Amino acid sequence: MTAVDTYKKNTIGDRALDPSAPLLTVDDLHVEFRMDMGTVKAVNGLTYSLDRHETLAILGESGSGKSVNAQAVMGIIDTPPGYVTRGSVKFRGAELLDLPESQRRTVRGERIAMIFQDALTALNPVFSVGWQIAEMFRIHRGATKKEGFERAIGLMDRAKIPMARERVNSYPHEFSGGMRQRVMIAMALALDPDILIADEPTTALDVTVQAQIMQLLADLQQETGMGLILITHDLGVVAEVADNVVVMYAGREVETGEINQVYHDPTHPYTLGLMQSIPRPDVHTDRLNPIKGSPPDLMHIPSGCPFHPRCPYAREKCVIEEPSLHEVAPGRVSACHFWKEVRGDRA
Amino acid sequence: MTAPDQTPTSNEVVLKVENLVKYFPITRGILFQHQIGTVKAVDDISFDLRRGETLGLVGESGCGKTTTARTILRLENPTSGHASYMGRDIFELSRSEMRELRRRIQVIFQDPYASLNPRMTIGDIITEGWRVHKGVVAKPKQRARVHELLELVGLNPDHINRYPHQFSGGQRQRIGVARALALEPRIIICDEPVSALDVSVQAQVVNLLEDIQDELGLSYLFIAHDLSVVRHICDHIAVMYLGKIVEIGNEYDVYDNSAHPYTEALLSAVPIPDPALRDKERRILLEGDVPSPADPPSGCRFRTRCWKAQDVCATDPPELVERGQGHPVACHFPQVEFARP
Repeated sequence: MTAVDTYKKNTIGDRALDPSAPLLTVDDLHVEFRMDMGTVKAVNGLTYSLDRHETLAILGESGSGKSVNAQAVMGIIDTPPGYVTRGSVKFRGAELLDLPESQRRTVRGERIAMIFQDALTALNPVFSVGWQIAEMFRIHRGATKKEGFERAIGLMDRAKIPMARERVNSYPHEFSGGMRQRVMIAMALALDPDILIADEPTTALDVTVQAQIMQLLADLQQETGMGLILITHDLGVVAEVADNVVVMYAGREVETGEINQVYHDPTHPYTLGLMQSIPRPDVHTDRLNPIKGSPPDLMHIPSGCPFHPRCPYAREKCVIEEPSLHEVAPGRVSACHFWKEVRGDRA
Repeated sequence: MTAPDQTPTSNEVVLKVENLVKYFPITRGILFQHQIGTVKAVDDISFDLRRGETLGLVGESGCGKTTTARTILRLENPTSGHASYMGRDIFELSRSEMRELRRRIQVIFQDPYASLNPRMTIGDIITEGWRVHKGVVAKPKQRARVHELLELVGLNPDHINRYPHQFSGGQRQRIGVARALALEPRIIICDEPVSALDVSVQAQVVNLLEDIQDELGLSYLFIAHDLSVVRHICDHIAVMYLGKIVEIGNEYDVYDNSAHPYTEALLSAVPIPDPALRDKERRILLEGDVPSPADPPSGCRFRTRCWKAQDVCATDPPELVERGQGHPVACHFPQVEFARP
């Protein structure tokens, strides 16, 4: 056995891991960006957990805080201006947020890996893809150049990049969008992470390529048992792959639950509005039913419930009092004062 | 009287595209350029757009949908073929006639942030066209007309002196619509008009486009990759692959009775926003990537990724003709069974 195959310790830095604890728990996470113009509250209280083999979708529009949440979990928020002001992120029970940077680095790639929307900007244009994938082994595992390249070829094969051995020395611009995304996936899988965070992995891709990439992620998850966090605004993609879903709006979690329940029995007016506003590819729709208004500016989040200016159920209470997360059923929460009404209207 | 001034009667063909071809040369060398190949961006396509109708052009990136639109507007010169607006060949118009035509065919772009000048107020943006096309709206009436247009697209007319950055993405797209409408067009080319917008805002803009169409009898050439939005808004849909139309028909023809294998694969890849239907639909995963339009496959261009391909597909390019499916399809082996009652 070479150095490349060192087993993962059951500690992170000086913290012991608890194998019975969930893979990842995020509790009451708050992130803000302190800018010259004011403070942008990007994530305002987010709670979820993830287990092995599970696919959790974080669904939200631009500015909902879904990507910032992922960056906080990865520990890649630039400070300043970004600060995690409250909350906890635990990997197998070990708190990550207050780890020193040197120990935090051992989590990235080894435990939690991430892929991004735009593979062309995420990859370095002046190094070959093989070199960039092999970097994971050279830096984290002290592999030699040659070992690294062999590993890179193996990973490109696993990510189903045809002719991996011939293409290992190619540069990112020589690949198509879908192939570049596969290169990123290969890189993310290099150290066999327990969790993969995919931030809008298919948004820049054509629909047939999107289907290929989602299939690849599903196959790899099946094979490794990793937990997958899928961050997206696409209700269709979420419906196809997620086990559970967290719906975010203006940095807040507005609804969480099992995928079928959330889609077929939404308990938050925002979720309901989204479901009603999108056209479907499989049936004819006569008239779309949009949500009025537009998402708020995060520097000026509306008082009370941030959705109230756009909400058909809103009344005085919503303007004054910020709703807490109501447990509407086991494993299901809704941040709406009138969730019973939202639900009742559908029944 | 020039043809572009006529008002179309109901159901008249306002835009007819016949055998349109646009090749781009690939050149090498800086001083002594010589051509080493051609990108066949649009290769012999034909379609009709009728008054009050929406024709969708769908396909993946690089299939030639935007080049088609740009060539119709003569932002590119066609390699060959014809496009006529109300019977007049667009490619033979003089400069002044072309100016009149551009008034009648307006465009809405994808990126509402990049397509509005940040240094102009929205009032200036909307009236700019009237400075070129004198006589559309008389000067004293312009301000009142801008108010009307802003109201029509659902913006507050009091915001006439604001700048684009003071508006959200959805509102900016409404400004783009108002600007297009200012010149009283007959046709609006919508190039990915909602794909840059948030999900909750897309439906607002789609509804706006539909309302305006009903009110003004406009025709839309709707270019988009979101097949759900296309199904919703379009009366007819042309599916493009590598510069060719492979199938054309109405919503039910293309979506529910698709006969071309590419259309089938494309539609099967669209995720359906209903978890209960997961795994119920047969998904066709295409192998590999779209071939380069500089060197498209012989015969049928889809044959390299097609599971039905046979020898004939490599030699004979299939014509886009009716093959017993009720709508034209460019495939030697189209799907035959009917799902429609």
